[in-house]
Amino acid sequence: MSNRQVAMVIDLNKCIGCQTCTVACKTSWTSGEGQEGMWWNQVNTAPGHGTPKDWEKMGGGFKGGEPQKGVRPAQGDFGEGFELNYKEALFEGAGNEALKPIGDEPQWGTNWDEDVGAGDYPNSYFFYIPRICNHCTKPACMEACPRGAISKREEDGIVVIDEDHCRGLRFCQSACPYKEIYYNHVTGHAQKCVFCLPRIEQGVATACSRQCPGRVRFLGFLEDEDGPIHKLVNVHKVALGLHPEYETEPNVFYIPPLSPEKFDDDGNPTGEDRIPLEYLESLFGPEVGPALERIKQGRADKQAGRPSDLMDTLISKNFLDLFGPFTNHPREIERIATELEREPVIVPPSIEIAYRGPGGSSQ
Amino acid sequence: MRSVKVTAIADYAATTAAGWHQIFAETVEMVPAPVEMQPNGFIQANWQDRPYGQLTSLKAQSVHDGTSIAVRLRWASEKPETGGREGFPDGAAIAFPITGEPVLWTMGTEDEPVQFIQWQAMKNKIRSVVAWGIGSSVPGSPVSESVTAGWSQGYWTIVMLRTLAGGPEAATLQPGTETQIGFAVWNGSNEERAGIKAVSVDWSPLTIEA
Repeated sequence: MSNRQVAMVIDLNKCIGCQTCTVACKTSWTSGEGQEGMWWNQVNTAPGHGTPKDWEKMGGGFKGGEPQKGVRPAQGDFGEGFELNYKEALFEGAGNEALKPIGDEPQWGTNWDEDVGAGDYPNSYFFYIPRICNHCTKPACMEACPRGAISKREEDGIVVIDEDHCRGLRFCQSACPYKEIYYNHVTGHAQKCVFCLPRIEQGVATACSRQCPGRVRFLGFLEDEDGPIHKLVNVHKVALGLHPEYETEPNVFYIPPLSPEKFDDDGNPTGEDRIPLEYLESLFGPEVGPALERIKQGRADKQAGRPSDLMDTLISKNFLDLFGPFTNHPREIERIATELEREPVIVPPSIEIAYRGPGGSSQ
Repeated sequence: MRSVKVTAIADYAATTAAGWHQIFAETVEMVPAPVEMQPNGFIQANWQDRPYGQLTSLKAQSVHDGTSIAVRLRWASEKPETGGREGFPDGAAIAFPITGEPVLWTMGTEDEPVQFIQWQAMKNKIRSVVAWGIGSSVPGSPVSESVTAGWSQGYWTIVMLRTLAGGPEAATLQPGTETQIGFAVWNGSNEERAGIKAVSVDWSPLTIEA
């Protein structure tokens, strides 16, 4: 058990699906060999097949405390990595060359069904749902590993895979109900989101959170009563874990999406929600209805000029209020790393990878 | 089974070496490693209704020349599986007790470790590992090892060689004594790996001729 738990709240009412978080993660963590089709952060469209394809039908997790059977996703379910012919299409084709993948035509990718959603016009609907490893309180992956290669850090509850002990057996992939673990076929290891732990250790927010232009992601320790996570999860009770029925107690929480109204045949709003409550309950459990009501009440309070701590927290006028104790600027870490290099002291490779991007990236 | 004393071990390094025809081939009964002994509930849940370790027997032979020992294994395998990019390879292992009388199926104990020499179809080499219980295997003391392997007409045949001399994490094999040997086989095309395998019912006595 960890002493305290770092956690994230993702506000689905603010996510615009721009994938900046996805790219921030990709460039920070998964640009190595064997990681071409690896996206530790995804922003999927819901309803949809998700990443990996149809992961919600793949099992794993617990039921009544008992480990459940699970499918091990193949790389094809996540989607293979592929390159586009940028050079030919954008620089050499003189407008005659279309932008297309190089090599075999891809059949699936991490965001293949983006913006498809569900429902019929004019009452179609969708929303975006960013996903990372949930750094669960009861990690099924950790329990499933016969090598003891997966652990939950005492100091912050981040779940990590020790590649010195991992033998690529991939029982973890079957056990994780969120299917957030990839297999690197080059190194022979299971790999997944590390919650940007070298950043967290130095008080800097995760790359996906810091780079989000929509201020969608809140960070902090679950136990920190003054922090945004505790407020949203435990005080206002508007942030919910995804698929609580998997019983792993995820530590990424979601502000569920409010719904636009339906239109009738004459194009008039009907007052009914376009996103079926049953669908949201299938994602976030039975508490989603009351949570939505509390968010609506907060909005109404604000519109009426009444105070709403909930809405003030969600709006987060001050950018750094999003990040709890992780408000250090990424630049600070870069400077520390550089100074260490000058000493000269060996900089841990994880820090170099995360913070020293081309042109002094401040992700 | 007996490890027969021969003059030159090199004559037996090939799986098809003529000398093996003169060496008695012991039939070893194999069974699935029990699902109850798998190390956690997830592995048990995934495999309790799924057949694995279906190999019922293998043939084992052995020779030594006073310095090195060769063990030749032959077992039925519908098709060779190297695992490719994402799959799991066919594999086999022989086991020796390093000290005491460890239980084979639990891969030894804290006080009584077991040495495994493991072969995987995707690799051209074998590796020596030591285990003090399920899931505890780590690379063992360096022992000079080599392997030849071939699949033909529905059978894998492999010859594993190692020095008789051992170390703190590798069993010492002494001519003129009797030790024990155990066996495991993984069917890669059935995603068998780790404890999901066919194992010999128990140790077999191994007499190393003087």
